Amino acid sequence: MTLAALPQSDLARARGERGAVTGMERLRGGIVELTVRLPHLAAHARPGEFAQLRCAPGIVPLLRRPMSVAWVEEDRCGFVFEVVGEGTARLAALHPGDELDVLGPLGVGFTLPPPGTSLLCVSGGLGCAPFPLLGRRALEAGADRVVVLNGAATAERLYPAARFARGDARVEVREATDDGTRGHHGRVTELVLAALRDGPSVLAACGPNPMLAALASVLEQTGDGRLPFVCEASLEAPMGCGFGTCLGCALPVRARRDDVDPAWALCCRDGPVMAVERVDWAALRALPSAAVA
Amino acid sequence: MTAEAARAAATGAGPQLDLSVDLGRGLVLPNPIGVASGTFGYGFEFAQLIDIQRLGCIWTKGTTLHALAGNAPPRVAETAGGMLNSIGLQNPGVEHVAAVYAPQFAAWRVPVVVNVAAGEIGDYVAVVRRLDGVPGVAGIELNISCPNIAHGLDFGRDPTAAARVVEAVRAVTALALTVKLSPNVTDIAGVAAAVEAAGADAVSAVNTYVGMKVHLGIRAPVLPRGTGGLSGPAIKPLALAAVAAVRGAVSIPVVGVGGIRSAEDALEFFVAGADAVQVGTANFADPGAAIGVLDGVVAYANRQGLRRLTELRWRTALS
Repeated sequence: MTLAALPQSDLARARGERGAVTGMERLRGGIVELTVRLPHLAAHARPGEFAQLRCAPGIVPLLRRPMSVAWVEEDRCGFVFEVVGEGTARLAALHPGDELDVLGPLGVGFTLPPPGTSLLCVSGGLGCAPFPLLGRRALEAGADRVVVLNGAATAERLYPAARFARGDARVEVREATDDGTRGHHGRVTELVLAALRDGPSVLAACGPNPMLAALASVLEQTGDGRLPFVCEASLEAPMGCGFGTCLGCALPVRARRDDVDPAWALCCRDGPVMAVERVDWAALRALPSAAVA
Repeated sequence: MTAEAARAAATGAGPQLDLSVDLGRGLVLPNPIGVASGTFGYGFEFAQLIDIQRLGCIWTKGTTLHALAGNAPPRVAETAGGMLNSIGLQNPGVEHVAAVYAPQFAAWRVPVVVNVAAGEIGDYVAVVRRLDGVPGVAGIELNISCPNIAHGLDFGRDPTAAARVVEAVRAVTALALTVKLSPNVTDIAGVAAAVEAAGADAVSAVNTYVGMKVHLGIRAPVLPRGTGGLSGPAIKPLALAAVAAVRGAVSIPVVGVGGIRSAEDALEFFVAGADAVQVGTANFADPGAAIGVLDGVVAYANRQGLRRLTELRWRTALS
């Protein structure tokens, strides 16, 4: 046996830091965009990685809240979320100047497309969060184009297209709404087949687990020969620690990682971004939604 | 510098303060602030985040004879001031721990006590036998009360059954044996006295309380098995009462655990009768929690001119 059999959390870049809130924006549809001065996280976060945000100094809520790093500008990091409970309500009540305690970056992020190829992002609802940073880093690494398929229940709940692009004309956003109030009338997954014809080298998806499962079905039906080389999804699960210790955020996976973890992968350590083919989508569909916990 | 002076320098203890805790059979903790089983893994993640060498002890994740995959998710649910877990003892099995993890433990200065869980006496014995004499394994903590596994008896709920496990394990190991008590009993003092009589070197109190979180939207418990183990600040008053009751019933050391996140919390456990404490759920929200508790406890003891933390003990025994 080798050291490879030790737990595989890579926490070398993770660090606790406190930073001042520099921006708090309430967008339409209940979307909140929080900006915090966090030099370490800004310098080290890779697209799709997350940070654990302390919501309150006391014991309610007790646990931190995991959030993707949405974008980075100089020493500031953006976080995009909606109020779904006590923790996010506390975060949404922060004001510029307030201090926030953050641990990160954590987890495994997205694969960047090779230079000269294109990236396809598929976003459902607040699954938009990791894509501004992913698009930026992909273009910096030489990608020639980023297409974002952005879906939400209504037009109001769509993350604004300009915030994905952040001023870069090489980012194109195509929208879908369940109620047809903007863009394609239907699910965002219905836009995927057409977008695959452009030949992206990487497909990156983020959204509620059921939406990701639907996407996995679309990809399965499409067949290997017509798929991007890399198809990855950022998943969610209720988390205790966020760094691989509590074993709370188990997700069902198809292949054994090794003989130590026969059935489950940890969202925080082995994800949140995982190869689409690795996830056991049928088992995931059968689980209660992450929102239950 | 003597080894003792070096240890004192590492913890910040003043010249007269002796922080060491003797848990029996040669297991002497350099200081009384450790981390609770199930909240620290086997130390490898935290070793990347904090200076684990400053801790008094690492009590590992519950370890079973064979690897366990754990329960279906969701496995954790937050509650007011606490959390429920139903991990299901996911662990790589004792062979992996002894062969792969223990050599790492041996390279650390901090003592590592392996928490052992099983559903039957034969499995407890087999696990402890495999760990006995393995360099890096400083002691055994017997988990006789995990609420999240379906098979087997809950030995921790009955003094006679608890004593039988301890006697069987005692016969196969010279390692310091601490028994982690279940609070889900009518008479925790009775169980504590029974395991002391059966050969335990120390007891730790308490494991998690059985609890439930209900989701009205699905008209069902959040955790698929219905209940889970409640931990965190919410259980601190319950744990303090349990520690006081156990202190009154045994003469072996008592390790206090339940909702400790600050130095004040830990000091309260010393008043209630603890000889050492474990920081648990607080590690999840703040990886540096146990180090912060240690620094605060040492500062308090130095300010108060204490020579040993047991001087804080409340003198009236509960029994």
